[in-house]
Amino acid sequence: MEFGQVFVNWLLLGSLYAAIALGFSLVWGIMNIVNLAHGSFIIVGAYTAFWLYTQLHIDPFAGILLTMAVLFVIGWIVQYVAINRVIRAPFLVTFLLTFGLDLLIADLVQQFFTSDLRSINTSYANAGINLGSTHIPFDRLLAAIIAVILTALLSYFLARTRVGNAILATGMDRDAARLMGINIRTTYALTFGLGAALAGAAGAMLSELYPFNPSIGGAYTLRAFVIIVLGGLGSPWGALAGGLVFGLAETLVPLIPGVGPGYDDAIAFALMVVVLIVRPNGLLGKPFYS
Amino acid sequence: MATGADTQASPIAEAPSPAPKESRGWLWSLLIGLLILGLISTVPLLGDASALHTWTLIVMFIVLAQSWNFIGGFAGYAAFGNVAFFGIGAYTTGLMLLAHHPFWSGLVLGALVAGLFAFLLGLPVLRLKGHYFAIATLGIAEALGEFTTVRNIGGGGGGLMSLPLPGLDSYVYFFYAFMGLAVICLLVTVWLTRSRFGYALVAIRESERAAEALGIATYRYKVIAFVMSALPTAIAGGLYAYWSTGFDPSTVFDVGISVEMVLLCFLGGAGTILGPIVGAVAFELASFQLQTSGLNLHNTLLGLAIAIVTIFLPQGVIRVAQEFVSRPGAGSGRANSFMEGMRRVRRFIAANGI
Repeated sequence: MEFGQVFVNWLLLGSLYAAIALGFSLVWGIMNIVNLAHGSFIIVGAYTAFWLYTQLHIDPFAGILLTMAVLFVIGWIVQYVAINRVIRAPFLVTFLLTFGLDLLIADLVQQFFTSDLRSINTSYANAGINLGSTHIPFDRLLAAIIAVILTALLSYFLARTRVGNAILATGMDRDAARLMGINIRTTYALTFGLGAALAGAAGAMLSELYPFNPSIGGAYTLRAFVIIVLGGLGSPWGALAGGLVFGLAETLVPLIPGVGPGYDDAIAFALMVVVLIVRPNGLLGKPFYS
Repeated sequence: MATGADTQASPIAEAPSPAPKESRGWLWSLLIGLLILGLISTVPLLGDASALHTWTLIVMFIVLAQSWNFIGGFAGYAAFGNVAFFGIGAYTTGLMLLAHHPFWSGLVLGALVAGLFAFLLGLPVLRLKGHYFAIATLGIAEALGEFTTVRNIGGGGGGLMSLPLPGLDSYVYFFYAFMGLAVICLLVTVWLTRSRFGYALVAIRESERAAEALGIATYRYKVIAFVMSALPTAIAGGLYAYWSTGFDPSTVFDVGISVEMVLLCFLGGAGTILGPIVGAVAFELASFQLQTSGLNLHNTLLGLAIAIVTIFLPQGVIRVAQEFVSRPGAGSGRANSFMEGMRRVRRFIAANGI
């Protein structure tokens, strides 16, 4: 494969990975909860987009806001019903709980949609832009652009709006934030809802790019985790940086002679352990919680 | 420190730890544990093949939960990838069988390979803490499963491995092999609650820094505990391999098994003697009942059980029972003691929420 194509593939994949990790990073950074149900939120997002497409004929990209709204409500409810009750518990409890929720949600999705492999084939699925011999698929380009826009919006929202500042303040010091009159319960629910909504956006975009079934969530959770470790916790731009680094590894490693494709999880795992040992705070990041 | 099993504080750092109680607690736990295992041992006498099948798997899960307890319950390190050792044991034993070596040699080699793997993996990974350790172990299990699939270790395509049938009457022997393993794990657990080594692990769980300040070689102890939890898991994997005669990476490297180990310990009480046994019997029995009634809801049940246990019973059934049974309130009559116990239990279960 020629260099230009590899470069384009890398940029597109890396940006998409940023979208996968954004919500995960937000919830982890603010609430100190590693949300293992993130992958199942992505799945629910993908199936919501699938349902919108097959039943109402809404394009996944056009319906992305609708998907995000659905996931926001689901995330809010999950936070209020389950996560809220263990928020002060040690990490093993929250870790286990979110894993349980992941199993539960993925299984419910399977009950509704069966475990068949699904995909969405839009009319422009094969369209793209050709620059010389470099092919830029239209849908991937759109997904990458949306991912960057989401990153920028989240960054702006956290840094510049009152609600965003409240979320950040709660992440920095819960007790001080409460003394400033911030409703912690609502802020957490909002944070978790936003995290789920971002996962939903990622799911909607993935549903158009890759075939999916209810059991793929775990792989995306693992990737989100590695991306956050790479990029550092607590900053949307960190997620983008981590996504690009991770995308680079996944694009380049299969090109090494004698390795070949199929080792995605092994690459993710090896990268993470190396980064954790060499740079425990990620490539860009500072620890939000120490 | 020479008190009984009840001296370990809870793995939940913020909850009040049960104070030291009667010094013979470990003996009661051991006796009850042996009694439960003894009762289960009568299952082959029934001559019911399907019951034997179910209970063989239940005893296997007892072993898996018990061995997770060593690293997760005592040392407090949330290993989410222990299924990797199960898979290593299964594939090593399988390969040895296919090469016409005796079964027992496969089991031994599987345990050795898994132990060595746990040692080499533990050296870097046990330097990580909290979420990072959990995810790193989860990742290694996923990666191993992937590797086995891609390299097609089993030889049957996609890593699938088919083994010769072990002979019709051998299923009883498999059952008792798992049972023997469970008894050994029970004894090791009792030893952990009574020995310097076990106290050191509990100290690491409660505060690694404090343990280090006390002169405990935390890193070495953690690695030993990790290897200890790998050995029975690998033997169970080897037994499962021959017992099931055919498996693929998605069954023996299934991260769900890892999570079940954790859940079973939590359900019963992580870091207790009886916890893994009670948790495994209760949950797996319910799970098999659901399966035989034709509902394919295993993951839903697992997820719901996890949610309920983590929200309402993060200390485990055993500790709630202890809370109820022991420590009669000073000066309260017998009639009051039931209400008193209920009140204590309710306080104990109180949620951690905002």
